[in-house]
Amino acid sequence: MGDSEFAYGSSMSVDSMKTIAESIGIANLGDDAAKELADDVTYRLKLIVQDSMKFMHHSKRQKLSITDIDNALKIKNIECQYGFIQPDSLPFRFASGGGRELHFVEEKEVDLSDILSAPPPKIPLDVSVRAHWLSVDGVQPTVPENPPPLSKEAQKLESVDPISKLSKPTNKDAAGKPMCGKAARLKASESVHVKQLATHELSVEQQLYYKEITEACVGSDEGRRAEALQSLACDPGLHEMLPRMCTFISEGVKVNVVQNNLALLIYLMRMVKALLDNQSLYLEKYLHELIPSVSTCIVSRQLCLRPEMDNHWALRDFAARLMAQICKTFNTSTNNLQTRVTRLFAKALQCPSQTNNETGVGPSMVTSMKESEKTPLASLYGAVQGLAELGPEVIKVFILPRVRWLGERVEGALSGLGGADRLAAGNLKHQLLKVLAPVVRQLRQPPDLPEEYKRDYGYLGPSLQQAVSKIRSSPSGGGGGGAVAVVTCTPPLVPAAPSPSPSHHTSHISHGAKTVETIATRNVVISAAPAPQSPAPSTPPPQKFVIVSQQKAPQMVSAQPASGGHIVVHSSQPAIVRSQNVQSVVVTSGPAGGAAGGPAGGAPQKVVVVGVQPPHHLAPAAPAQPAALTAAHVSQAPVSVVAKPVFARGGAAPPPPELDDLSHLA
Amino acid sequence: MAEKNTPLLAVLQLLRKYNLKGTEDILRKEASLGDVEFENLDLPEVELASILTSHHTESDPYSYEFAYDNLKKFIENSLDIYKHELSTLLYPVFVHMYLALILYDHNEHAANFLEKFGVEQEDYYQDDLKRLAIVKHKDQIKGNELAEIYSTNKFVVQLSRDASSQLKRFLQEQKSSTVIINIINNHIQVEVHDGPGRTQAQVRSTTGGLLGEATRNENRTKVYYGLLKEPDIQVLPAPVEDEEEAEETPDKPKKKKAKKENIFMKKPKSDPNAPPNDRIPLPELKETDKIEKGKAIREASKRIQLGPETLPSICFYTLLNSGHTAICTDICDGSTLLAVGFSNSCIKVWTLTPVKLRGMKSAEKLLDIDREAGDVLVRMMEERDRDTCRSLYGHSGPVYKVAFDPFKTMLLSASEDSTVRLWSLQCWTCLVVYRGHVWPVWDVRWSPHGHYFVTSGHDRTARLWATDHHQPLRIFSGHLSDVDCVQFHPNSNYVATGSSDRTVRLWDCLTGTQVRIMTGHKSTIFTLAFSVCGRWLASGGNGELIVWDISTGTPGAILPPLHTAPIHALAFSRDGTILSSGSLDCSIKLWDFNAITEEANGEEVSTNNAVQKEDKYLLRSFATKNSPIKGLHFTRRNLLLAVGSYEGSS
Repeated sequence: MGDSEFAYGSSMSVDSMKTIAESIGIANLGDDAAKELADDVTYRLKLIVQDSMKFMHHSKRQKLSITDIDNALKIKNIECQYGFIQPDSLPFRFASGGGRELHFVEEKEVDLSDILSAPPPKIPLDVSVRAHWLSVDGVQPTVPENPPPLSKEAQKLESVDPISKLSKPTNKDAAGKPMCGKAARLKASESVHVKQLATHELSVEQQLYYKEITEACVGSDEGRRAEALQSLACDPGLHEMLPRMCTFISEGVKVNVVQNNLALLIYLMRMVKALLDNQSLYLEKYLHELIPSVSTCIVSRQLCLRPEMDNHWALRDFAARLMAQICKTFNTSTNNLQTRVTRLFAKALQCPSQTNNETGVGPSMVTSMKESEKTPLASLYGAVQGLAELGPEVIKVFILPRVRWLGERVEGALSGLGGADRLAAGNLKHQLLKVLAPVVRQLRQPPDLPEEYKRDYGYLGPSLQQAVSKIRSSPSGGGGGGAVAVVTCTPPLVPAAPSPSPSHHTSHISHGAKTVETIATRNVVISAAPAPQSPAPSTPPPQKFVIVSQQKAPQMVSAQPASGGHIVVHSSQPAIVRSQNVQSVVVTSGPAGGAAGGPAGGAPQKVVVVGVQPPHHLAPAAPAQPAALTAAHVSQAPVSVVAKPVFARGGAAPPPPELDDLSHLA
Repeated sequence: MAEKNTPLLAVLQLLRKYNLKGTEDILRKEASLGDVEFENLDLPEVELASILTSHHTESDPYSYEFAYDNLKKFIENSLDIYKHELSTLLYPVFVHMYLALILYDHNEHAANFLEKFGVEQEDYYQDDLKRLAIVKHKDQIKGNELAEIYSTNKFVVQLSRDASSQLKRFLQEQKSSTVIINIINNHIQVEVHDGPGRTQAQVRSTTGGLLGEATRNENRTKVYYGLLKEPDIQVLPAPVEDEEEAEETPDKPKKKKAKKENIFMKKPKSDPNAPPNDRIPLPELKETDKIEKGKAIREASKRIQLGPETLPSICFYTLLNSGHTAICTDICDGSTLLAVGFSNSCIKVWTLTPVKLRGMKSAEKLLDIDREAGDVLVRMMEERDRDTCRSLYGHSGPVYKVAFDPFKTMLLSASEDSTVRLWSLQCWTCLVVYRGHVWPVWDVRWSPHGHYFVTSGHDRTARLWATDHHQPLRIFSGHLSDVDCVQFHPNSNYVATGSSDRTVRLWDCLTGTQVRIMTGHKSTIFTLAFSVCGRWLASGGNGELIVWDISTGTPGAILPPLHTAPIHALAFSRDGTILSSGSLDCSIKLWDFNAITEEANGEEVSTNNAVQKEDKYLLRSFATKNSPIKGLHFTRRNLLLAVGSYEGSS
């Protein structure tokens, strides 16, 4: 009954009629009249909708639009409803009261002066024509303009139910999806299909591609790496190589963690980032390889040869962001990904004598423990960072309760002797303050008294209090919890990094042998001499800084979705066909020289300064792979990030842009 | 009051009709009816009859349900060979019962009746039922498009001789209830055909029209579907080949000559099915047109032969930033120009080759040109123009179709503002506005020989025009709903139309009469295409694709419904071996047309199951990236060009 009612249409209710009558000033509409009206209105509305369907069909659309209704009214000689043209659908609001239920469209009052004073809207882009090959001799080339050979859904289905591929009739290729070259050739001899499942064989071209890509990703040529990452991030049809890529990454991480080869780890993480950004890939199948690798890069005890020098912090930050991205993308109620990842990090934060901490028995117990039993500070840092990326709620639940204990660790290390430990403690402290301050700001009411903070948060209390009140006073801090994700990075704590001043960057030209590679027109490479006040005695004399700046250009992507369809290699431009925001920005880490000059324009820019050691100070670490040999030239680079890009701009700069994405770094 | 008096008034009307004045007066007195009511009543003839004959059942709405149940039982219990044919009766009987119930104010019963039996009707009638279901009151019958069509026309049902005698016997048994007999007498036309009862598949292939199937008689006329002799070709080859010899190496043309001779040999052989060349007066070819023709022949000689093994390459033109605004596209015969019509009433023309779009020089400058010069055509164009895209403004509503003339000098456009405009591609201005259609014009097509064009629109007509007349030459009327698409036959003698009444009709341009009516589509027809040989007509609807044999007016092949959205583009390869279809579901499919015609010629040897057919006909499917296909075009060398607009990632 209900079914058929649905099939043959609904109708306007008597109540709506009465409501509408009321709204135009007819107070008591009789039931009969309302019924009569409701029937008639229903009939006429349906006629109009029927006619507007014709206009929809002839406009070659599958979605009815307001203009269709207008046209249908027009052929019935009824004046159109003006002012209803709107890009998106009007939401119905619901209200009830006085025993009546009401659906209505919210009509907001518009202030005309606001519209008049507003800047004129952007002119829509002109229609343009673009040609590409959909098929060449009956074979569809896998270019970004064409849909991926195997859709994400199909990849998912295959991962969930591998048998489905076997049971599918062979004519599926002809009927459904286009085929890539190999499958097309195989179609002639139809028997081969069964074998594919087991072997995952790659065609010669694919093998070549795999070899080229992996070599470029871990090689020394930054330009090629940019190309390779770009290709990984936007080429459709990589799914056949995906298992190998993932194995490459996970094996690479295993080896290089042991070798403490920081540069290679960064490169591998950038590969992960690129794969994550590729919209056509269904990565879920390979998370078991990727997640351990990424988390290794976050919490590993040691990631570089000289912890007191190298900026492994940046790698941890970057990997933490990757982990957050993975959690966001793949978390489902069945795999409980985020819970598991959170548990992993939380475990690292747990002090070995957990109960003591919880009951507040306090410092004596902790300090009395053997040093060796403690989680290293670097790992703590990674865990904090990893949790912080997961959002303010996680920070509140998992970091805040442990802040007292963490503070004690920091205190202990700062007062201790080890240089590396002190550095780590400093970083950890800085990170904790940055992460916690916005959360604490939300939790506590304004009178911020240092004593209370001290009581509640232990050693870190006073510093935290300062940070919180600083946020409170600054107007831009209104962002609240969201500000947590926007990270300004560890500025002055790496001893090797000079405190950069404008003059450094604008004046010095490198004495590096190689010529600089200007990656894109927007990227400016500047090199600087070592800072004279460099405290660590072991620091090699010439320090080079590569400043890569990038204009934020995502608007371009969204506005002109397919225009940048071709992968623009050698460019940091994130213009991809799909409006994914691929920030594959490149950092040249080779010896640099040449172009100096501040990045132009007032648009928000991201500036990253990377310090690179000159090659002749290489520690002869035995590289695990041949590829690592080439990479070794840039390995062990102390990587530091300057928080205030104003420095790099040279004085008269627009307001400091946010340095929100380390993806250019890694 | 009206409900009580309807039959009385009907009697009055009948009396008036037969001029029985005395009786009328007596009745009027007795029933104390005024004159006023009578004036209001103007029931159609058929309604009148049904009111009078079924007068006594009027008070008994339950009899309808009962009668319908009986009919259903009879059909279910009849022999298998009659069952499928007889079952086509159910729908019209059902519809008229519903309308009768409404007419007699049994609105509740009508709604119940619809709910109870509506869902049992064939799924392709469900859309109609939904449209009919909005009629809930007798006042609404008048003025409702669908209800009027049903009550003023007869629904055609084809039955074999045996089946019809079975039906007669059944009706005689039903003496008690005359409901069905009345409906069958008044609203259904039973066509009796000789031969055995048809199978389910056969019945299904031709049903679905708004008014049932086509009658056989309607498709008796001979259709000259053959191609015209090309008289100009005899004149042309010599100069063309001279050019070619000059261009190319001396040893190559020999081969070409042989090939070309083949082409010429074939054509002059008079086709028995071809109409006489002067059946329709065709325009003389101008000098420029001949050059264009010559080019076409030269190109054609370089054509790639396509087949299941050698599929065409497809070049896809994506319209970027167009969103939903781009509606229609056309590519000129020489594949050098692309026109797109937009919903903001603008038309844009792009050049697809490096040749720029030039306008004509101003009048003063044209005076200076030596008219006898050999290159006068080049000289008269402004050489400073370097546009790759030009816009044409003039319409005041969405442009539903643009069409290039065969010689690339003019463009026609049809729009929602009910006009058709002719644009010059030399001046880039509008030349003529053709007014005639009353409501939106959905489609416009050129005759393959130029000069003539045909339009169709919401006013249920298709019209034939010549460019030099501001009035239509012929008006083809007969469709029961919007004429959604038209297509000229390659020999310019016939026009095919497809409509929302789910029929495809073929009209003779000479006489203006309908020569074929083809039923079998289950949804609105959006596009038509004639095969290269002229015998076959492909029509695309909402996912359906049917190839018709014009010689008989029967479906030659019903292709499996692999498209999931309306098909808006069809194109035959130039050698006629491949049919390509483009749909809003963002895919292009290539069909093996040779296999389709062979199957149709062998006709019903054995109806293979659907899966095998799928395998056989469909060669390949290509998906695009969220770009619905709006146009398809084969170049003279058999490269497939497709146009679609990118609708963003989502």
